Parts: sequence; C-alpha cells; structure tokens
Amino acid sequence: MPYNIAMVSDFFFPQPGGVESHIYQLSSKLIDRGHKVIIITHAYAGRTGVRYLTNGLKVYHVPFFVIYRETTFPTVFSFFPVFRNIIIREKIEIVHGHASLSNLCHEAILHARTMGLRTVFTDHSLFGFADAASILTNKLLKFTLSDVDHVICVSHTCKENTVLRASLDPLTVSVIPNAVVAENFRPKSVEEGGSEHPRLGPNDTITIVVISRLFYNKGTDLLIAAIPRILATHRDVRFIIAGTGPKAIDLEQMIERNVLQERVLLLGPVRHEEVRDVMVQGHIYLHPSLTEAFGTVIVEAASCGLYVVCTRVGGIPEVLPGHMTEFAKPEEDDLVAATGRAIATLRAGKVRTELFHDQVKQMYSWTDVAQRTERVYDGISGTLSRDEFYLGAEVEGAWSAARGRPGIQNFALIDRLKRYYGCGVWAGKLFCVCAIVDYLLFVFLEIMAPRTQIDIARDWPKKEVTRAEDTENIDSRPTTVPRKRSARNR
Amino acid sequence: MDSSVPASDRLAPDDAFSQDIAAIGQAPPKKRTEGPGSSSRRRRRPFKKILWFKQPFPDNYTDEETFLDHLQRNPRLQPYQFWSLMADVTVVVQHVASVAIFCCCFVAIAQEKVSPVSVVSCATVCTVLGWTCWDYWVSQEDHDRPDSPDSSLSGTYPPALDTPAYQPPYVDPMSSLSPRNQVRLATAKSALLIYAALLGLSPILKSLTRSTTSDSIWALSTWLLCMNVLFFDYRGGKGAQLPASISTNSGLMASTVLASRLPSTTHVFSLTLFSIEIFGLFPIFRRRLWTESRHGHFALTSGLVVFASGGVFVTLTSGGLLAWVIGVILGGTLTFLAMGICSFGLMSLQKYKNEIHGPWDPARPIIRRS
Repeated sequence: MPYNIAMVSDFFFPQPGGVESHIYQLSSKLIDRGHKVIIITHAYAGRTGVRYLTNGLKVYHVPFFVIYRETTFPTVFSFFPVFRNIIIREKIEIVHGHASLSNLCHEAILHARTMGLRTVFTDHSLFGFADAASILTNKLLKFTLSDVDHVICVSHTCKENTVLRASLDPLTVSVIPNAVVAENFRPKSVEEGGSEHPRLGPNDTITIVVISRLFYNKGTDLLIAAIPRILATHRDVRFIIAGTGPKAIDLEQMIERNVLQERVLLLGPVRHEEVRDVMVQGHIYLHPSLTEAFGTVIVEAASCGLYVVCTRVGGIPEVLPGHMTEFAKPEEDDLVAATGRAIATLRAGKVRTELFHDQVKQMYSWTDVAQRTERVYDGISGTLSRDEFYLGAEVEGAWSAARGRPGIQNFALIDRLKRYYGCGVWAGKLFCVCAIVDYLLFVFLEIMAPRTQIDIARDWPKKEVTRAEDTENIDSRPTTVPRKRSARNR
Repeated sequence: MDSSVPASDRLAPDDAFSQDIAAIGQAPPKKRTEGPGSSSRRRRRPFKKILWFKQPFPDNYTDEETFLDHLQRNPRLQPYQFWSLMADVTVVVQHVASVAIFCCCFVAIAQEKVSPVSVVSCATVCTVLGWTCWDYWVSQEDHDRPDSPDSSLSGTYPPALDTPAYQPPYVDPMSSLSPRNQVRLATAKSALLIYAALLGLSPILKSLTRSTTSDSIWALSTWLLCMNVLFFDYRGGKGAQLPASISTNSGLMASTVLASRLPSTTHVFSLTLFSIEIFGLFPIFRRRLWTESRHGHFALTSGLVVFASGGVFVTLTSGGLLAWVIGVILGGTLTFLAMGICSFGLMSLQKYKNEIHGPWDPARPIIRRS
C-alpha cells in the first residue's frame, strides 16, 4: 500500500553529511517502491522554495531563522501554518522526522500529531546523560517522543540510548541500520592496477588510511599518539590521512617533531566522491573514534576491501563481522597493539580482503533499509495488525515488562495530554500547555484558512516499472549526490 | 556483545523437536523467517546485537538477555560516612571563619576600637609561626627523600605565595648556601619586597574610591567576599595548586575597597597586609596542615571558630568579655549544628543519585604522556 510520506529535518542538501545522505537515499528507495515522498527542510543560502531532485523527489525549503550549525531557531509554533499547508497540498499521511538536534523535525512531529497524522522519528546519534546540552536535548526529545508512533534507530546501542533518553517502550523502537551504496565503494579493479588475489610480501609497504574529521570526538588525539609508535615498530608502513578540523595542527606538529613527512601523507579535506579513491590506496583503515552511533565510514572502507582497525565504542562493534575488523580499546597502547595485529594478519595473508566488497554488498543496501522502513509504516498505519507488529516482537525471550499495551497511539487530545503529562513535574505541565496551544492554533487555522481553499499539488508523473526490473536497477544506478562527513552525526 | 552468547544449559520442551541445535547454531539461516507466528515453535538462534547479519527477528524485537546489558548505574558511587563528611566540612568552616575574622577586624579598625598596627602585628607573628611550621615540614620531607632534592624542589610542593623560591631558578647550584637556605633567603626577599611595595602603594589605595559612596563600597565588598567563599578551592591534597585565583583576587579586591574607607595611610597599609596574609597565605598553610596533621587541623578549626563567633558577637552587640563568651558558646553550637545538618542533608540526597553510563558515552582516550 503506497503512502504519502514527508521527511522532515533541518539537515539536507546542499549541506553534506550522514543524515542528509540517509534521508536522500531512503527517500529515493521509497519512491522506487511506489510511495510518494517529499522532503521538508529549511532554506539554505542560494536554495529556497520548492526543488525537485532525481526521480521526482520534491524538496520544500521553508524560510527559517538558523541559529547554530544549520539548526533552526526553536519557536515551537511558528512552523505550523506553512507545515499544515504543505501537508494538505501533498496529502501527506506519514511524517518522518530525522535527527534529534533538528528543531524542525521536533516541531513537525508535534504538529503532525495535532493534525492527526502518523509520525516516525529516526535517531542518528548518541547522547550522554551528564552535560547540560544533553540534558536539554533529552528533555526536548522526551517531549516530542512522548507522542510519536514509532522510532527508528541506526544501531542497537543507539536504541538503548534513545529508549533511556526519551523513556520509550522498547517495542516501539526499531533498529534499522544505515547502508552504503556499495557500487560507489568498489575495491581497486584490475585496470586500475589492482590484482585479483592481492598478496602482501614481507617487505611490501602497507598503507594505513585514516579519513575522518580531525575533531576530539573522532579520537584524533589517540591517532596522534599512536602514529609515531606504529611507524617506529613497523618499517614498511605508511599513513594517508584525509580530513581536516581543529586537531589538524596537532597532527602536523606531531609529524614535524618526529620527522615523519615521508611516511605520513596529509591530504587535507576530500570530497565524498573522492573518498573511495583515497581508500583504495590503502590496505588498512584505522578508525580511532571515541563515540559513534553507526560508523558508516568503516562499512565504506570494508566495501573498498580494506581491513578495518577500530575502537570498540558506541555501535561500532555491531557493524562489521569479526573477520573484517580488529578491535581496540580507546587507549593508545591497545590501538598500537591492534594495528600491529592487523599488519601481521595482512602479512600472513590470513584475511581475504578481496572478498569484502561482495560481503558488504550483501549486508547493507538501501533497498533493504527502505523495505524495513516500509514495514514500520505498515505497522503504524494499521496495515499490519497491532498483534503482528508489536506482539510479533515478543517471541520467546523477548522483552516482557512492556507487554502492557504498546500499539496504535490514538489522536484524542485528552490521550495525548496524558502522555505529555508524564514527562516531568514541571515539564509535563509545560508540554501540556504547548500541546493545547498547538491544538487551538490548528482549530484557528482550520477556520481562517480552510482546507477547501488549499490547492492539491499534482503528483510527479511516474513511469510504470515492474518490480523485477526495479530491484535490479536500484543498486546499479549511481547516485549523483555528494556526501561528506558532517560535523554532527558521524 | 558478539561473544556473549547465552549458554542454554537447561532443557526446554522445544529441545525435543529440534535435535540439531548445534548444526543450526553454526550456519546462519539464509532466509529471514516470515512472521513470528510460524516459527515460534522452533528453537531460534539466540539474538545477538549485530547489524551485519539479518537475524530472524523483527526490527523492533527487544531481547531480554542483551537489552541494556552494558548499562551501569552509579558505577563509582561512594556512600558518604557521617563523621568523615563532618571532618571534610571543617575545611569550609575554616575558610568562612577566617573571612568572618577579617570582617570583624575591619569593623574594629574602622570604629577605632583596635589599633590597626596591633592587628597586623598579631597576624604577622602568626604568619611567621606558620611559615616556620611549613619550613619544618618541607625540610622533613627532604630528609625522607634525600636522593632526589631537585624533583622535590620543583614538583611536589605547591608553588606558594610566600615561598616563590621553589622554582628552580632561585636555586643556584654554585652558591655556598644549601638549597634550603637559598629558598629561605628568597622567601625573605620576596616578603620584604611585598612589604615595601605595599608601603608605597598605601597612599594611592587610600584615595582609590574617594568619589564612591560608602553604600556602594559595602555592597561591593559583600559581593566580593561572597565570591571569595564560593569560588574557593576547598579540595585538599598535597598536589593541590594555588587556591583558585578568582577567589584570592576577589578577597584582595574586597580588602582594597574596604581599606580605602579608612582614615590614614597606616590603617590602609595594615588592612591590606592583613588581607594578603589571611586570603593569600593562610589558605596555603591550612591546606598543608590538613595533610600533615589532622589534630592540628581540628585544633586550628576550633580556634578559628572561637575567634570568629566571639568576634562577630562582640561586633554585633558591642559588648565586652561576657558577650564574647556567649558568642563563642552560641557560635560554636550553631556551627556544629549547621555542619551536622548539611552533612545529613548531603547523605540523604545521595539516594537520589542516578548516574547512567553505557556504551553510548564518549570514551575517554587513555594516552601515555611521554
């Protein structure tokens, strides 16, 4: 059953980043599956109004005041008139918000519930519980997610985090990972100088690739401490480091202090299209990050046929099977040791990195992500019965504490108020006031700008394709949209 | 995670139907089971927290065994003990008492009840005594580790105000004096320097706030003294650095603005010197005393409380010796009660502590400093 879906997030193209590309890939795959998808984001410099992307993906750039790192100013209600207009014009049934730092997404979920629409939220990042910023974000998240139909998280760790942060019933949270477009991350082909069965001799140079923004939370300090020790113990090893950030200066200082200019190559910032070309030059991908919800980049590296050395943090241990990765604790000594193990394994020829690409291709695909997201849509809109969707998850050994009554959230204002009221002693009352004002605003808008006077937008004329062709074509179509590490969610 | 496969050592009725658990356990099933209902009779592979393999569970499946298994609540919780908490509170009491003593001395000086010279003389005698104790402790420490005098000189001691000589530049290896004596000499030099500078500055300080009304000065100095108490670094320990500079600075500034209300240059000089001693040097001595001798610390605390409460009561009532005695009794009791109530309050609040840690927290990188 095709749905009309609106993806709402502050983060979308032209800004590069992980969330942005997730939204784009998921939307285009959902369109391929016959749904109608629009994207609502805020206006970027030089990009306003309504735009169409490939495949008839319509993007609304709503004018909004941006305060910090492309996040809009939280006004709670000011988005409602425009939002309602878009929703009615496009006959939207499901509102799908992305990223917990996106204010637009939180507002959209609140208004959508007021208007009686089904809502889904996707969380892309991990938050702690201690610092002031997290506490504020968590409270806001609790407000929005008190009345959401379903939540999607990108990893099991992310699910645990979100369940705790927003006090959710775990059964209303699904884990659907990110994916990669495997075609864009092919290992070096024979024409490019690659070989079918790469074998490393004992004296061949092993190249370690690092592609990351050079920030504290990406573990650049660990990297800076580890590089001289790795290079001191292994003679035929060199590094290629791509990316930039505040820690770049420390990295350069380290290179100069230890006179490693010949063995460490700094590339500076690379665009996402070029990431693959950098990756295929190496044998090992080193990922010293300190926190990560999913870690798409290690999947991309494995897809390029690189052996991955990474820290065991966040959702990273869930992402790749053991034969592709060497895990380290986030400690300098252990990172050096793990890299040493990885080099030894490669030299001994114990891993068949040439097989990685096909394996990764089978593990992660956006088509699969779209399918699983569609099941969530089926569940919340009642196509799948409640028993099948929620109680189906309660097979033996499953979560039983929540066996109460997860299920279809009803739209009656009083029931919604009950859910908001439980958010906290003061916050609960405040949230209730917000919900009531929102409802009054909705009634006001219904009277002042009646539905009958809003034009209905025509759908994108779609070419009929059969399912079989569909699945074949999807993966092979190269995506043209650039994607880079964003400052936020990777 | 991957390794934590729950071992099933109990027999379940399902075992009768599937004898080939081990076989299933090794090879991942190729197709995803359609719907949970059809397969609920069959024994499943245990759920694992992995994403790279599509497990035969729905996406919103929540496993009882593994869900939140890495959650830690209050991992580093140390339940407070009442008496140790009381002992720790004395550090705060000491500082508040010394601030109160400073205020009382100012009032007494301003009202011409006490000669400023006698106040500062007493304080200076106490400071010299304190410094002697300090010097004794430091030299004892040197005796304990005679083989490494350099490291002990440069690293372990707090670089204190009255002993700036602990930095290596002051120690001349060519000199005929022993390092200890050189340090002592440097200390005396810097004390003399401060004394002389203060003497020269006093006339300027005196006219500093002539154009400001006294009301503003009282308000300003009250806030500054509050800042001094709030921002003070109450942490103990030998490696502790200088008292937080914002605290010391606000204390000295309060004394400066207060001193500018006084009638003569001698008054100003005395009060400023007194404030340097009580806000700058005294905390260093107290910190050292806390690590060296607990009994000395408690004796000092009692002495300070006696002087502070007596002084406050006398200042408030402008009475004599009787007022002093009543003040000491009253102040001592009140201080003890306040300490007890605060300690009890903190202990009873501790049960609400709910610190959550898990794999989502940003890891703390461990880097060897070489």
